[in-house]
Amino acid sequence: MQSAARPLAQEQLARYDRDPASILQMLRNLQLQQNGIRPSDIETLSEGLNVPATKIKSLIDFYSFLHDRPRGSYDIYLSDSITDRMLGGREVAWTLCRELGVRLGEPRPDGMVTVSTTSCTGLCERGPAAIVDGLAIERVDVERAREMARLIKAGAPVDEWPLDWFLIDDEIHRKGPLLDADREPGAATERAIKLGPYMTLAELQVAGLRGCGGAGFETHQKWNLCRSAIADRRFVICNADEGEPGTFKDRALLNAYTDMLLEGMAVCAVTIGATRGFIYLRHEYEFLRDRIERRIQRRRDKGLLGRNILGHHGIDFDIEVYMGAGSYVCGEESALIESLEGHRGIPRIRPPFPVTNGYLGKPTVVNNVETLCYAAGILEQGPGFVANDGDEPGWKLLSISGDCAKPGIYEIPLGMPVRDVLAMCEAENVQAVQVGGPGGTLISADEFDRRVSFNDLNTAGAFIIFDESRDMLEVALNFTHFFAHESCGFCTPCRVGTKLMAQMADKLAEGHGARLDIEQMRRLHKIMTQASHCGLGQVAAVPILTAYEKFPDDFQRRMDDVDFQPTFDVEAAIERSKQIVREEEAAR
Amino acid sequence: MTRWITIDGRAVPFADGQTVMQAATDAGVFIPHLCYHPDYAANGSCKMCTCKINGRQMSSCTTRAVEGQVIESNTEELNSERRALAQMLFAEGNHHCPSCEESGNCVLQNMAYRLGMTALMFPNFHPGRATDATHPDVLLNRDRCIYCELCVRASRDTDGKDIFCISGRSENKSLTINSDSGTLADSGLSIDDKAAEVCPVGALIKKREGFKQPIGEREFDRLQGSGAQIRAPRMPKLIREPGKKLKLATCSLAGCFGCHMSFLDIDERILELVEHVEFDRSPLDDLKEFTGECDIGLIEGGVCNTENIETLREFRKRCKVIIAVGACAISGGVPALRNTIDVRELLEETYINGMGVDNGQIPTDPELPHILERVSPVHEVVKVDFFLPGCPPSADAIWRVLTSVVADEQPNLPYDLMHFD
Repeated sequence: MQSAARPLAQEQLARYDRDPASILQMLRNLQLQQNGIRPSDIETLSEGLNVPATKIKSLIDFYSFLHDRPRGSYDIYLSDSITDRMLGGREVAWTLCRELGVRLGEPRPDGMVTVSTTSCTGLCERGPAAIVDGLAIERVDVERAREMARLIKAGAPVDEWPLDWFLIDDEIHRKGPLLDADREPGAATERAIKLGPYMTLAELQVAGLRGCGGAGFETHQKWNLCRSAIADRRFVICNADEGEPGTFKDRALLNAYTDMLLEGMAVCAVTIGATRGFIYLRHEYEFLRDRIERRIQRRRDKGLLGRNILGHHGIDFDIEVYMGAGSYVCGEESALIESLEGHRGIPRIRPPFPVTNGYLGKPTVVNNVETLCYAAGILEQGPGFVANDGDEPGWKLLSISGDCAKPGIYEIPLGMPVRDVLAMCEAENVQAVQVGGPGGTLISADEFDRRVSFNDLNTAGAFIIFDESRDMLEVALNFTHFFAHESCGFCTPCRVGTKLMAQMADKLAEGHGARLDIEQMRRLHKIMTQASHCGLGQVAAVPILTAYEKFPDDFQRRMDDVDFQPTFDVEAAIERSKQIVREEEAAR
Repeated sequence: MTRWITIDGRAVPFADGQTVMQAATDAGVFIPHLCYHPDYAANGSCKMCTCKINGRQMSSCTTRAVEGQVIESNTEELNSERRALAQMLFAEGNHHCPSCEESGNCVLQNMAYRLGMTALMFPNFHPGRATDATHPDVLLNRDRCIYCELCVRASRDTDGKDIFCISGRSENKSLTINSDSGTLADSGLSIDDKAAEVCPVGALIKKREGFKQPIGEREFDRLQGSGAQIRAPRMPKLIREPGKKLKLATCSLAGCFGCHMSFLDIDERILELVEHVEFDRSPLDDLKEFTGECDIGLIEGGVCNTENIETLREFRKRCKVIIAVGACAISGGVPALRNTIDVRELLEETYINGMGVDNGQIPTDPELPHILERVSPVHEVVKVDFFLPGCPPSADAIWRVLTSVVADEQPNLPYDLMHFD
C-alpha cells in the first residue's frame, strides 16, 4: 500500500502544477482517494511544494474532513444538526453503529467502515443526512440505515447503491423574481459591459441590493471599493461555503441556477476589472461540483468565460471551483480567502478588508451565491427586477426546515412577517423559530409579527421551526456544541469561551445547574462578545442564553432552586475509586 | 508635525504606521498584553490588549493609531474583562505556579497579578498534552502553552528555522514541532535561539536553569509596588452584633498546612487578633467540631477525597463567609499535579510499589474516604466568597485580609502581597 501512495501524491502535485495555494485541494483529493492521508503523502507534498511537513499536518488537523489516520473503506459522516436530530438522526446513528458493529468516530478494527458525526451538511429539509465517501445521501431514516449496513456488509461499492439516495432534489415552494426568471446566458454580462462600471454600480445601488450572506453590506459599495483600489489584479470569489446550520438555499441555486450564478460572477468581474474568479464550494456539496464545472466549461465554449468575453477584446475572466474541507469559520470572508490560499481558515485581522487586500493581497470581492444571482438578474432586467410592494426593496431566499408540512425553499419579499412565512409553509403549534441559524435570532410565539428584513430579523436564509413538542434546551445545547466544535481556536475568548459555554450548558442539561451558573454564562457571554476576533465567538453564547430567557421552563425544570452547584458530579468522581476497591476485594 | 492619540485622558504621540500598542509602549503607557512583542508582527490572538477605541472594543496591537483617537484602557470594565481572559487561560492549561520554574518571570502570572486575579472562577480543563523533554537543553511543557505564537514567530522571523507550528483547531489546538520525529531532539533548535527564550510562560524553558534565580528575586517579584493596586473581588458584608467577637474557623483539606504555618507567622499580632476574633473549629486550637455558627471559614488545601467534600460542605453550612486560602484551595495546587494520572496507578505507587513499602496492598476499609478522580479547587465544590492566593500567602497578606474584615472594610491586596507562588 505504501508504494502506491507516492504516485497518487505525485499525481496531485502534477495536477495542480506544484502550486502551494492548491495544497488543500491535493489533500482533499488524497483523502477521498484513499480514506486518509499517509505519512508518505505528507512527505511527498512537503518536498514537492517546499512546505514544512508540520504545516501540512496543521491543515489536516484543522479541517474536519482531512485525517492522517485512515478512516474505513466506507467513510460515513452523519449530519448532526438540530434538524437532523428532530428527524430522528440520533436513532439512525445508533442503528447504523449497532448494525455495523462499530463505535461512533472510530474505524472498525478491520478497517471496513467508519461512522462519525459532522456539523450540518446542508440537507436540513431532507434529513437525516449523511455523506458517504464524499457524496451526500438524503433521508437516512432507520430503515435506510439498515439497508446501508446491509450493502456495506455485502461489500457493495457505493456507486452500486440505490441511485435515488444520492439525487438531492430541491423543493422550491415559492418563486419570486430570481427563481422565476428566464435567463438568457450572457445578457447581463453584455449589458454590464455596455453600461460600464459606473452605471452598473448605479443599477445595483438603485435596486438596493445588499449581501445575502448575513452581513447585509451594500453590494454596489463593496464592488466599488474593490474597483477603486489600486492594483494590477482583482478577484471575484463566490462564497458557496453555506455552513450556517439550517441554510440550504445556496445549494438549490448552485444546483438549478448555476448559470445565473456564473453570470453574476461575470457581471462582477467586468465591473470591478477582475480576471479570475473562484467558487469556494463547501466539502459537503461535492455532489454539485461536476455540474458546476460542466456549466463553467459550457460557458467557456460559448465565449461567456475565458478570453475576450462575448467578443469584447481585452475582457478576460475565468472561474474555478475550489473545494472546502470542513470548517464553518471559512464562511467568514477573510477566513475563506486564507483557506483559498491553502492555509488554515483563520479570519484575518481587519482592517484591511478583502475589498482592498484580499486573495493574494489583491482587491477581492467575496459575495454570497444569492447576492451574485440577484446581481445578474438586476443587470439583465434593471433595478426593477427586485422591486416589491412592501416598504423595503428586495427579496430573500429562505431555507425552511424543522416542524412544518412544507419545508424547502421560499423566495419572499423583504419585510414579510414571520407569521405569514409560517402560514405559507403550513407550520402549526409553533413555539419558536430560529431565524438565521445558530448565530441568528431565536424568536418565540409572541414575536411572530416581526419581519424578515435587514432592519429586523436579518438572516442569511436559515429558518428553523420548532413546534410545542420541542425541548428548547436541547436545541440550544446542539448549537452551543456546534460553536465549540467549529471555533478556529485562534483567540482566547472564543477558543476557551465556547468550550466553557458547552460545559456549562451540559451542566444545565444534566440537571446540575444553579442560579450562579446562569450569572457566570452571562458574564462569559459579555467577554466573548466584546473581545472575540470574529463573529463566531461573538454569538456563540447567544443560543443558550436566549433560550433561557425565552423558554425558562425548559431550563428550570432541570435546575435546582439554589445558588450554587458543584462543577462536577461527586458520585461520578469517586466511581473509579469504588471500582478499584471492588476489584481489590474480589482479588483477595 | 506630531500627531496624537489620547489614552485614558493622556495625550500620546504616534509615528506613521504605528499601532495603538506601539504608540502606548513608546510613551510608557502600559497596556496589558501576552502575545504582543515589539520585535514581531502583531498576532492579535490573546485579546488581553483589548481597549475601547473610539467607543468600540478592539485589540490595540492590531489597530493603527489615527489622529484624534480616544482610547480607554485602564478602566474597571476593561480590566475585569482582561482578568476573565487571564482566568480562561489559567483554566485551559495547567498553570500551577508553586511548581512552575517560570514563576516570578511568567508574563501570564504577572498579568494576573496586575489585574487582581485572585481566583480561577472557571473549572479547569485538566489537559494532558504531551511534554517534550527530548532536547538536551530545552523543555517543552505543552500544558502551559497559551498559543501566543511567539516561538512560532521568533523561530521563523529571527532564527530562520521555522521549527514551531500551530496545528488543529478549537480545544484540539496544539503546538507542533517541525522535525522528522516531531520532537525537539532533531529539530535543530539551539539554546541560543530567540525561540528558546521568547516564551512568556513556562511552556518552553531552558533546562538546568529553572531555579538558579531564587523565587522572590525574579523579574516580576522585584516589580513590587509598581503594579496597579489590586482590587480584589468584593467580599459579602458580615452582619455583626456590636461588641461581639467574630468567630473564625479554619481547616486544611489536601494541603501541607503551610498556610496555617504562615498564619502563625503573624507572630505577636495574634494577640491583637484574638481581641476581635474567637477561634472555633481549627487545627490551631485543636477544636475538631464546630461549637456553633461562625462568621469566617478559612479553607486551606484542594479537594481530593470524600472526607474533604464533607468537611468543606460543613464549613459552608456553618460559616457566613468562606475564604479559600492558598494555591491548593484556589487552583488545586500541588496535589492537583496528580490530575493527569489514573487513580489505580496512584494507589499502586502509594501502597504497593512505593519506596519502602513491603507486602503492601491497596486499602479497602469502608471507613476510609474514597479519593476523587481529580483534585479540585474549593470553589468547584462550594460557593467561595473570597480568595487569598499564595503558596503560602504571606503572614502580612493573611493579616491584611483578617484585619480588613474585623474593621468592616473591603480587603485590598497590593501588588507586593499578591503572589501565586
